[in-house]
Amino acid sequence: MTVLEKLNGTGIYLICGGIVLFIAAVCVVFLVRAWKAGKALGMDPVKMKRAVTSSATFSLLPSVAILLGVLALSGSLGLPWPWLRLSVIGALHYETQVADAAAEQVGVSLSPDAMTTQAFATIALLMSVCIMWGMVLTTLFNRRYLRRLQGRNPAGASAGRGFGDQAMAAMFIGMVSAYLGSYLGGFVSGSGLFTFSGSWTPLVTAAVAALAMAVFTWLAEKKHLAWVDNFSIAGSMLLGMAAAVAIGH
Amino acid sequence: MNTEKNVNVKTAGTVDPKKYEAYLKSTHRLGQAVSLLTLAMLLGAPFLIGSLLGTLPDLGAAARGFLSVGLVWTVSSIVEYLVYTPMLGAGGSYLAFITGNLINMKIPCAMNARELVGAKAGTPENEVISTLSIATSALVTIVVLALGVLLILPLQPLLESKVLQPGFANVVPALFGAMAYKYYRKDVRLALVPLVCMSLLFMFVPSLTASTSFMIIPSGALAIGLSWLRYRKVRKEVGQK
Repeated sequence: MTVLEKLNGTGIYLICGGIVLFIAAVCVVFLVRAWKAGKALGMDPVKMKRAVTSSATFSLLPSVAILLGVLALSGSLGLPWPWLRLSVIGALHYETQVADAAAEQVGVSLSPDAMTTQAFATIALLMSVCIMWGMVLTTLFNRRYLRRLQGRNPAGASAGRGFGDQAMAAMFIGMVSAYLGSYLGGFVSGSGLFTFSGSWTPLVTAAVAALAMAVFTWLAEKKHLAWVDNFSIAGSMLLGMAAAVAIGH
Repeated sequence: MNTEKNVNVKTAGTVDPKKYEAYLKSTHRLGQAVSLLTLAMLLGAPFLIGSLLGTLPDLGAAARGFLSVGLVWTVSSIVEYLVYTPMLGAGGSYLAFITGNLINMKIPCAMNARELVGAKAGTPENEVISTLSIATSALVTIVVLALGVLLILPLQPLLESKVLQPGFANVVPALFGAMAYKYYRKDVRLALVPLVCMSLLFMFVPSLTASTSFMIIPSGALAIGLSWLRYRKVRKEVGQK
């Protein structure tokens, strides 16, 4: 039995499916409570219904894009774990990056051939630990934080972000640069200093994905096809991966 | 004629404050309880799965991984928490941070619902609408993913075929290629410096490619430092005017 077959085992499906089911139940409880509270507070059911239906239709396309992300990760991590991670807390760009960093720490690459059961368990743990902080913060501080904001203009909280937004963008630019630099360095010096004989597949993959992203962005911004935006990351990734398959390294 | 404006809805000033307070209080209690339970399940799952596979996570490697990449995401989580919680309210924020996909789905979805019904941030109406919106959005994702997984199952032998393996082995370059376009176009000049520095570093010290995730720290610090210098300069110029 290969590692990937083990990662797609029934037991793992049951564990992941059980957690997904729990989260679904939590969502239903919050939905029903909010609906009842809205009625008790005198809100118009027509407005509440509209909020529900618009949110359902709004979420349909991005959810299909997230499904493509599950597909992208399933080749190395099996199907049940990415299914859980992208159903609960996760986000595609985050999951892939953390999984790769964790794989690096256990000395494997995020590829099906290199995956071991311990590497998988470590990757899974790190994926959970790295993204849990939003949940930790809401649990610890939500009550006090929202109380402090009551009576103030809530819009002020976002307007006063100042350097925060720029720092976030800069941080991601730094992160992307480290990875792209490593692909370029790997190609130039990977098989000997400045021999230009290292693997060029990651470079081509990244270039095709970037090009695809440029096309998606152009369609969304210039051709006003806003829905394309929902698929831009997952679609670009799949096209980049298709290029790697075509190269066949 | 805007029909929304004609609908008679009580807003922050007209609802019974006691009822609303009671609702908020119970929402916090419930939110905290389910967040803790979800945390326990998510942290427990790798150990449970590991024991099924006859192994356990390597805690040392996980700690090293956290130091390299986890710190970046911790900072990101704090910023997201501070920025998005006021928009989402109590119920919405608990749910959003449990179900994830904030920037790419939950936040725009909740903002869209809020705009559609004309709810103002910080009002009881916003609290209810955000919660309805995020709960619905999360349920749609859960259903779509569950159906998708069921449909993908028969395709598994194909997904595991040797021909497709180079694709799956290059998920990360594909991600960073897409993200590079997305973030670099925001600030090409800023992107150039860390990209050139990192490329040269990896060319001269190729062994560093085995520790790429650690190199995020100097690269990110460089980009943030440059961004801060420019921010300070712009503020100074604005102040002088």
